[in-house]
Amino acid sequence: MKILIAEDEPQLSKVLVAAMTHVNYDVDAVYNGKEAVELAGKNSYDIIILDIMMPVMDGITALKKIRASGDKTYILMLTAKAEVDDRVTGLDSGADDYLTKPFSLKELLARLRSKERREDDFTPTELEFGDLSLNTEEQELISHNSIRLNNKETQLMNYLMLNKDKSLSTEDIFNHVWKNEDNVNSDIVWIYISYLRSKLESIQSKVQIIGEKGGSFTIIDR
Amino acid sequence: MDIYGGYRPTLENILDQVLNRFKEVNQLYQDQTGDRLYEHLIGRVKTEDSMTEKCQRKNLPLSPYSALKKNRDSIGIRVVCNFIDDIYTWIDLIDSWTSTKIITKKDYITNAKPNGYRSYHLILEETFPYQDIEGNNPGKYYIEVQLRTIAMDTWASLEHEMKYKHQIKNPEMMGNELKRVADELASCDVSMQTIRKLIREED
Repeated sequence: MKILIAEDEPQLSKVLVAAMTHVNYDVDAVYNGKEAVELAGKNSYDIIILDIMMPVMDGITALKKIRASGDKTYILMLTAKAEVDDRVTGLDSGADDYLTKPFSLKELLARLRSKERREDDFTPTELEFGDLSLNTEEQELISHNSIRLNNKETQLMNYLMLNKDKSLSTEDIFNHVWKNEDNVNSDIVWIYISYLRSKLESIQSKVQIIGEKGGSFTIIDR
Repeated sequence: MDIYGGYRPTLENILDQVLNRFKEVNQLYQDQTGDRLYEHLIGRVKTEDSMTEKCQRKNLPLSPYSALKKNRDSIGIRVVCNFIDDIYTWIDLIDSWTSTKIITKKDYITNAKPNGYRSYHLILEETFPYQDIEGNNPGKYYIEVQLRTIAMDTWASLEHEMKYKHQIKNPEMMGNELKRVADELASCDVSMQTIRKLIREED
């Protein structure tokens, strides 16, 4: 899993990053809310961890900005024990869970594992982008016309649409859509990108997937 | 009565000539590229009954003029292709025929009908060395051309069967199912097209 953590206390940040990296998570660390919003806009994460009390931009503001951009990534807030209102505000502003400080490393890692197990259940069934909508339940892609997608095409489209305007590497895409699968390699990504491009064209959508074979891909609205 | 006013043999004759031209073009293309441009080809002169019915439906007088000029599908051919791209290759080829004028183009492939119907329809106008209903000799005749893939053709015959041959209990549900299947078939057509392109790019 790819994780973004925004925590301003350098010592705590260092410990958390070390622990998460140790269990093979891919971690980006930033030290205020503003940097978190910037990175969340650029990269695709499975989990974003935001401390509430941070300089430059606090965690609640960062959370609101990330949600306002349409980002549906799972977000975990770190709150101080006394701040009940912060926890309520955080959850009401779109956070998925919180941990009160001080928390044990064991508990944080258990939360991350729990999230990882049910990752697949978190995606919404209706996604919209530009003139395009994707119904993941029906595996239907709709614009001027409609067309059906197969399972992998749906997952790939879903991943691209949840990360609109972000650059996703062939590696990212492969690890996400074809994780835990044998007998395939990342060449499959290009084939499925090609399918989706043809299908977008056939339903005359203005949405495009840009990028070249083996490189990074971004879904954009022309 | 004869709605074609004695023109039927002329129509049959023209149909044969047009079918032969499509066959020749396909053969030439196959000789040059190794690919067939259609999987099969059929043609018909619209039957007396269905032309009569169509004129009545459109409130046209039952006359040869209505059958030959007001309706433009007295002669119809259907070109059923393996791949979507083949359809567009045909349209480019037909466009290049100097003796033939494309009067209308209707692209129900990129603009599928709400029920899921997909095909490309052309109305051609062509001059033949026979008198037409307006007294011109050589005369002008219309030919309707429907281009579609095998999947679209199979779908259309099923939809036709549902619409005209059966009294079904829940037409709305069947209609929704047909629409879904049309989109799934379109998906296969587009995927096969893409695979062919990817394979050919490897060379």
